[in-house]
Amino acid sequence: MKTLIFGAGNLLCSDEGFGVHFIKYLEKHYRFRDDVELYDGGTLGIMVTHLLEEADRVFLVDVVDAAGEAGDVFRYEKDEFLLGRLPIKMSPHQIGIQEVLFLSDLRGRTPDQVSLFGVIPASYEAGVELSPALAAKLPGLAEMVVAELQAAGHEIVKLA
Amino acid sequence: MARITLDPITRIEGHLRIDVEVNGGAVTNAWSSAQMWRGIETILQGRPPEDAWIYAQRFCGVCTTVHAISSIRSVEHALKVEVPLNAQYMRNIIMAQHSVQDHIVHFYHLSALDWVDVVSALKADPKKTAQLAQSISDWSGNSETEFRAVQSKLKSFVETGRLGIFSSGYWGHPAMKLPPEANLMAVAHYLKALDFQRRAAQAGAILGGKNPHIQNLCVGGVATAVNMENMATLNMEKIAALRALMEETRDFVQKVYYPDMIAIASAYKEWFKYGKGVTNYLAVPEMPEDTHNTRFALPGAIINSGDIKGARIITNHQDAPLIGGITENVAHAWYDGSGSKHPWEGETKPNYTDFQENGKYTWCKAPRLDGKAVQVGPPAQLFAAYAGGNQKVRKLVDDSCKKIGIGVGDLHSTMGRLGARAIRAHIMADYSLEYLDKLVENVGKGDKAYANHTQIPKGEYRGVGFHEAPRGTLSHWIVIEKQKIKNYQAVVPSTWNASPRDDKGVLGPYEASLIGNPVAQSDKPLEVLRTIHSFDPCIACAVHTIDPEGKEITNVKVM
Repeated sequence: MKTLIFGAGNLLCSDEGFGVHFIKYLEKHYRFRDDVELYDGGTLGIMVTHLLEEADRVFLVDVVDAAGEAGDVFRYEKDEFLLGRLPIKMSPHQIGIQEVLFLSDLRGRTPDQVSLFGVIPASYEAGVELSPALAAKLPGLAEMVVAELQAAGHEIVKLA
Repeated sequence: MARITLDPITRIEGHLRIDVEVNGGAVTNAWSSAQMWRGIETILQGRPPEDAWIYAQRFCGVCTTVHAISSIRSVEHALKVEVPLNAQYMRNIIMAQHSVQDHIVHFYHLSALDWVDVVSALKADPKKTAQLAQSISDWSGNSETEFRAVQSKLKSFVETGRLGIFSSGYWGHPAMKLPPEANLMAVAHYLKALDFQRRAAQAGAILGGKNPHIQNLCVGGVATAVNMENMATLNMEKIAALRALMEETRDFVQKVYYPDMIAIASAYKEWFKYGKGVTNYLAVPEMPEDTHNTRFALPGAIINSGDIKGARIITNHQDAPLIGGITENVAHAWYDGSGSKHPWEGETKPNYTDFQENGKYTWCKAPRLDGKAVQVGPPAQLFAAYAGGNQKVRKLVDDSCKKIGIGVGDLHSTMGRLGARAIRAHIMADYSLEYLDKLVENVGKGDKAYANHTQIPKGEYRGVGFHEAPRGTLSHWIVIEKQKIKNYQAVVPSTWNASPRDDKGVLGPYEASLIGNPVAQSDKPLEVLRTIHSFDPCIACAVHTIDPEGKEITNVKVM
């Protein structure tokens, strides 16, 4: 089974780059085998559709615009993105990850399990570092995702 | 009078707001406003110049490659570094494939649904659709079975209320004119196009090491060693894979995208009358064929008032009047002051005032060339190459105009921009393969050089890296002092086109293109979207928070 961990975000806008920082954190602290792909997706939307389509299971990590405190992490599952619960956009396709998943579905190729871990950002200021509130979330979220992957049968080694 | 505000308008992760005033069914005034600050250039100050490209390719979420190329060229220009032919050819292939990918995605996924009615496709006869598709192309994917499958899939989604991104389209709008069969053909190709933009991305990754963020650049060349027998380098096996991918993508572009574009243009010919706007154009030369950036396959040019014959041809990247003639004005932008500065002296000091239509109203500066507003992008690129005598471009432009039944002058328009992009994709698909042949030939001659490794010297240096990106002229401006970056500014294509008014009140290209644009229903301003989307707008590039509409989704807070 191929699992994709897709970190989205812009590395130059502090917390906006949370997903990319998360990928870098995993690369630094864990060793994965070929059955897990860590992907620093930047802010591409539609141009990475194929990556999602080729995985059996997908974890997305991104910032979300939701009610709560900076640093709160929410989890959403595939059906919450699909089934008409997408935000109503002014034009037919403001293309982001949600639309990409819908398109893949229309092509008959979405993976069965897609989970989004979304964190509420504190700052979008220009900068390549996370705010302290979000940086503090990296180890805990990494442990949570790794534990779930291990439970699904992936072999992952924590580096000293 | 109706006042319409469209916000956001870009389909790629950006935030562009367009305000228009409509009188008697046509736009009489327009404002283009970038709603997100991109002050990320300041991050580069104080960093090593040889690392600039790694950060610069994060400027934009979609066009990562182009910023990497421009950035590395800015350092090479500052230090007068030669780039070996193998490296130039590899970069040319990466640039051409990126253009192909970007143009496919723009046409099908970011603009086609302004012209194609998805719901009407449900009424099409798949057999007639196949006949229509086969009458304009011999591509193997245009079978009745294929169109029937797409239609039934679409039906099942509609029946279960799962229209997703299609649910808020302007279906049934009076400005939608294609017959059901043409709509079904376009929707099928829309879904298929994803497979081919992917092949272009894979081709880029074979050479660039990784896509979206290429890894193989270095000041003075590329970090991709060439050895036809060594598996760890760029070898015959990888070149064969590259060729296969690029041939499949070329076939899709030339046998699907291009004919679809000709069909849509022919059905909507009146759109060659709208969207003209600013007809001063700039394109820089692209596809270098020597080590000094003095000989290029595609010439650049400065064109004033649509006068293609009178164009001033730009033959190299050292053109002093061009380098000296670019300024950015902040009279109507949310930055301190109201003056103009050359990019090497450029500042990024924010001064947000809220949207004031007679004052400051955007985060986008107003770039000017010799004091004039200028349009960049595929029309500028084709006009420049046409004026400069590139025979491939001349022939394809003339043939395309003849097929549609228009003149070259009609390309100064909304449909002209879409058509020019398809023509450019056609040409870039060919150039990709041509440069692969040249690379193999050059290596075959015994040239194995791929980089002139360069130390950053002490002292002060200024450079500019020009690149014709898919959306138009991109330039990165660098000032190096004591081996560190002292100043860095990027003048991006969408800044030229989304420019606000300048201190003289002259409108930018988006704004000017909307004057006279028809609007049949002011609550459904489809026609405004058509003209703005024809530029392939890509603005803030950076910020793209997912908005899951918390009301409908049960949030499960996990940390």
